[in-house]
Amino acid sequence: MPRYLVNVEGHEYDIELKYRSEKYYASLSGREVEVSLHELGESRALMLIDGNSYEVDVRSNGYDRKKVVFMKGMEIVTEVEDYNLATLRKTAGIDTDASVDRMLTASMPGLVVDVKVAPGDAVSGGQTVLVIEAMKMENIIKARGDGVVKEVYARAGTSVEKGDKLVEFE
Amino acid sequence: MDTGIKKLLIANRGEIAIRVIRACRDMGIRSVGVFSDCDATAFHVRMVDEAYHIGPPPSTESYLVQDKLIEVARKAGVDAIHPGYGFLAENASFAQRCADEGLLFIGPDAATIAMLGDKLQARKAALEAGLPVVPGATFDPENIAEALKKADEVGFPVLVKAAAGGGGKGMRVVQAADQFAQAVRSASNEAASAFGDGRVYIERYLARPRHIEIQILCDRHGNSIYLGERECSIQRRHQKLIEESPSTIVDEDMRRRMGTAAIKIARQTGYVGAGTVEFMVDERREYYFLEVNTRLQVEHPVTEMVTGLDLVKAQIDIAEGKKLAHTQEDIKLNGHAIECRICAENPEDNFIPSTGKLKNYRIPAGPGVRVDSGVVIFSEVPIYYDPLIAKLIVWGKDRTEAIRRTRRALEEYRVSGVDTTIGFHRTIMDDEKFIKGDISTRFLEEEYPGHKYSRLTDDLRETAAIASALHTFVFTRRINVAARPRDYRAGSRWSECHRRLNLRNFQGSR
Repeated sequence: MPRYLVNVEGHEYDIELKYRSEKYYASLSGREVEVSLHELGESRALMLIDGNSYEVDVRSNGYDRKKVVFMKGMEIVTEVEDYNLATLRKTAGIDTDASVDRMLTASMPGLVVDVKVAPGDAVSGGQTVLVIEAMKMENIIKARGDGVVKEVYARAGTSVEKGDKLVEFE
Repeated sequence: MDTGIKKLLIANRGEIAIRVIRACRDMGIRSVGVFSDCDATAFHVRMVDEAYHIGPPPSTESYLVQDKLIEVARKAGVDAIHPGYGFLAENASFAQRCADEGLLFIGPDAATIAMLGDKLQARKAALEAGLPVVPGATFDPENIAEALKKADEVGFPVLVKAAAGGGGKGMRVVQAADQFAQAVRSASNEAASAFGDGRVYIERYLARPRHIEIQILCDRHGNSIYLGERECSIQRRHQKLIEESPSTIVDEDMRRRMGTAAIKIARQTGYVGAGTVEFMVDERREYYFLEVNTRLQVEHPVTEMVTGLDLVKAQIDIAEGKKLAHTQEDIKLNGHAIECRICAENPEDNFIPSTGKLKNYRIPAGPGVRVDSGVVIFSEVPIYYDPLIAKLIVWGKDRTEAIRRTRRALEEYRVSGVDTTIGFHRTIMDDEKFIKGDISTRFLEEEYPGHKYSRLTDDLRETAAIASALHTFVFTRRINVAARPRDYRAGSRWSECHRRLNLRNFQGSR
């Protein structure tokens, strides 16, 4: 089932979603809440969370992880990421620290959608390295620090298995 | 001149145009509006009785072009022109032009506007009328040595201000003598380029002042009254965001003294119409004259809510030559009113203007709630004009009730398509210092450095996280069956996922 890491103003929520009998169930670190979701047109929806009513308006920009939730007169900035991808990004993300492994590998199966770097490219922190679709979600893998690309193993349009080499840095 | 106005031109747009249209309807006056290219279907054009095109979007080619407005006035055969606020509202030459054309300008006469628009002249008039002014001095800009001596007498820190100033332009805070000459030069240059008038003067810089103003009404027969005060200390960049009446620090005695002072300067200058006398109030509750605004203020509704008067109607009555309908004794302040300016701006990004189409727009209602909105659902918020899209004005029997109702109303307000100040206001309504009335014009910079206005409860944070996760889930499901949009701004179709999941469920149950 889909599982997400959502960051709201420095607070991290680990949310796993289930769907049964026309209702969603969200597990937050083991605690489950029932969500009945009704679309209201455009980006708006009514959520009844264990009976508590929230009319929300969620605005996002395509694949951007940032989503702005408008409710109760408040504008709330959230950052959402697939749980496994977030784990991948955190553990295998590019880092300028010499002690960190220079090889970026896939920690789960997925489809390489786009490769943004080539051997010899200098990348800086925050720059997009590649895009992987996994768990039916596109994830932008960004460089976590400055570095130079030594070798690119990932090819756009191909599938990768867990442990496959993606990009190697010098 | 006792001529009843039959038809009135509103030389403005947005919420204030609609405010005047409403007053016209209430009074049986036919209203005439104007619009630029990008306002062709604007709310004020839909509301008004007649509307005429006056040019391209930039206001210098439309709403500020006197010739075009006069031409519409003639063509439509109006008796009077209401300028609203902003644009030509405090433009003496326009007031004169109207007079020359035989049109009634809703406001004071050109000479009064010109005189009070010059801060040095207004300050002089205030001194002559016996009003307290912030200690300060004028000087010859060529003689910096003498100016510095005067600044020392006033006492650092001092504020360098432009005589023709407004909106914070040509204004500099000078902490010490060694920065003085440079500040005078740059303020003077800025004023010269902004107003075509480089004259500057100095005033003592007040550390944590409040901005409190008195609403006045003066007829052509020598009658003048004051309608209590408005506290407008919640500001950013010298622009007001929240106003209320009464002020938490003004008692009956102080109100009478400030009101009387306001009437004095009105008499001194022969003021006619609705006006606002602005004061700075220091931490010892001493008040100092600041300036007179010769127009209807954005925040006039808070006064209307506590006095029960219609200030636009009062303006029109005065222009028609009628006597004031009320004496000072009639004016009783009832309850408490708060106004929140709903601007298309992103408060977290230093209030940068936000433009776009309003995909959703739902205004609050219920007891004590008034919304003066310049937009409706699907309105476009253009880049050319003031970002103020609406004003939320809330009345309560006391300040506590007014704050509670404001919170409620802000939570009911729904806007999508542009960023707004709604969340900012919601946060301020929970701010302990605001609730205590412990505010000054430096409130925002002191309490919210870096413009971090978000204050969330654990509940709201968690709910937002769930909404965000669900939205992501639904969105990614959708894009796997549809073409991937390049610019996907508005969010998602939540329903697609339901349909697919329902279908799967349905199939599964077989």
